[in-house]
Amino acid sequence: MNRDHTTLLRLRKARRYILLYALLIAIAIAIILPISWIVASSFSTRETVWKNVLPFSWRAFFPADFTLDGYQAIFEKDFGRALLNTFFLGAVTVVFGIAVGAMSGFAFARLKFRAKNFLFALVIFSFMIPGDLTIIPSFVLVRDLGWLGTWQGLIVPGLANGIIIFLFRQFFAEIPQDLIDAPRVDGATWLQVFIRIILPISKPALISAGVILFLGQWNNFFWPLLVAPDPELRVVQVAVSIIGIEQQVHLWEQMFASSTLAMLVPVLLILPFQRYYVGGILGSGLKG
Amino acid sequence: MRNKLRLERWTPAFFLAPAIILLIVFRYIPIVLGFEEALYTNSLSLAGARKFVGLNNFIAVFEDPVVWGSFKTTMVFSLVVNPLQVGLALLLAELINQRVPGIAVFRAIYLVPVAISMNVTAIAWGLALDPNYGLINGIIRTLGLPRQPFLQHPSQALWSIIGIISWIGVPYWSLFFLAGLQGISSDVLESAHVDGAGSLRTFISIKLPLLRRIIAFVLVSDTVVNFTLFAPIYLITRGGPQLSTHLVMYEAYRRGLVYGDIGIASAIISVLLIVVVAFVAVEFIVLRPRH
Repeated sequence: MNRDHTTLLRLRKARRYILLYALLIAIAIAIILPISWIVASSFSTRETVWKNVLPFSWRAFFPADFTLDGYQAIFEKDFGRALLNTFFLGAVTVVFGIAVGAMSGFAFARLKFRAKNFLFALVIFSFMIPGDLTIIPSFVLVRDLGWLGTWQGLIVPGLANGIIIFLFRQFFAEIPQDLIDAPRVDGATWLQVFIRIILPISKPALISAGVILFLGQWNNFFWPLLVAPDPELRVVQVAVSIIGIEQQVHLWEQMFASSTLAMLVPVLLILPFQRYYVGGILGSGLKG
Repeated sequence: MRNKLRLERWTPAFFLAPAIILLIVFRYIPIVLGFEEALYTNSLSLAGARKFVGLNNFIAVFEDPVVWGSFKTTMVFSLVVNPLQVGLALLLAELINQRVPGIAVFRAIYLVPVAISMNVTAIAWGLALDPNYGLINGIIRTLGLPRQPFLQHPSQALWSIIGIISWIGVPYWSLFFLAGLQGISSDVLESAHVDGAGSLRTFISIKLPLLRRIIAFVLVSDTVVNFTLFAPIYLITRGGPQLSTHLVMYEAYRRGLVYGDIGIASAIISVLLIVVVAFVAVEFIVLRPRH
């Protein structure tokens, strides 16, 4: 009787496990298959790119007739320039975005000043309203500043980011008071405390902010499309979209090759840093 | 000493100024500018054509069938996509909250769409859903089922867009719910288990009520973000077929930057902004900490 009961429980548990893994694997396939189809197709020629789709064969997900034609063609069209531009844009945004965000986050967490609640409400409200919503008047503003087709037009409007400011404020608020009091008593200025004491122990927040800012710029499309679509300043997402839609002939292998490169970079960045990325975006929702 | 004290008075301003000035200039001034531009007509074309028209652009938002149609389509789209994404994200979070061997690998795989841009996702799924060549129709037809038009028929296009953006949206929002589920104390779940509550019962009666703040946050954030959906419409459907995917941000872009009528485009986004602010205000009231 007792043994039957244990067997039944074990069977139930096994059934639950099988169901669970079946579901987990099915969802993983729904994520991996389209990606592997794009990557596989990026190594095909224009003639063979649809060969394994109809009639459908598993070979659609693995490079079959390996060629680099697509990649060669997009690099001849300055896709390399777009990659470099986007790396530059991302790097500059990370450096200055962190400086702006960490400084104000520190002030909100540690300094006393008038209108603090009001100013912090400005920060919170700014990330409740998506930037893309006001993209047309932002375009008018940047046009009136004479910044269309310039690096500053691409970079400056995105430097102050409410989520980043919030992230730093949360992190700095947790730092023990003693660490700050000791150098202050010894006569250090707030700037010295910030640079010598706070920043060196804030690696997790700095990595989170860096990853979020870089991914944001790498994947940004609407704003660079409006502000700097010209070849000299063209970024990856705009280049992909131009290869994707603004051609009379469908350049399939080039669409797949450019899409592959455009997704490769953020995926390679998010996987090793997933703890920092997830921790960073969660702060905005859970503690607010 | 006195010099130093004077310097210290300016410290907060020094730390805050870059962020606050940038936020005001590039986030808040455009909001005001949007309302102002909405009172003029044709302000992108020749300088002489800029003319004050009062509230005419706002009236046009409600009277122009294409503009107002884009608001209606966006409402239908919102009412479907947001509850759908929130529901699926909750289920996905519950699934990856199971403590089983190998779960970290699945969590990492599910994070991949979050890293990929909406732009690339739209192009890739646009190709995969192509009626003639697409991967999905290849699979459907190889299984002996009839070919589907997906993005090329008014009855399926908006649904296809909803599916495409959920490929990113569901895994993204599930991260918030997973963190919420992990924050529920094991004592609560333990006592439910002792009382004989099954997994489904525990999920509905215990976990969902405890997650309500996060659910409210995600529902509002998702709604607000989806109001500004642009890339898949611009890249795949251009609002068609027969305006079935003509969402409001695409209409604002088309009016403002294709036809150069910044006035009506600004009126469109000003109306949308009022709706968004109302949503956010409700969220603030719902989420206000209770004392």
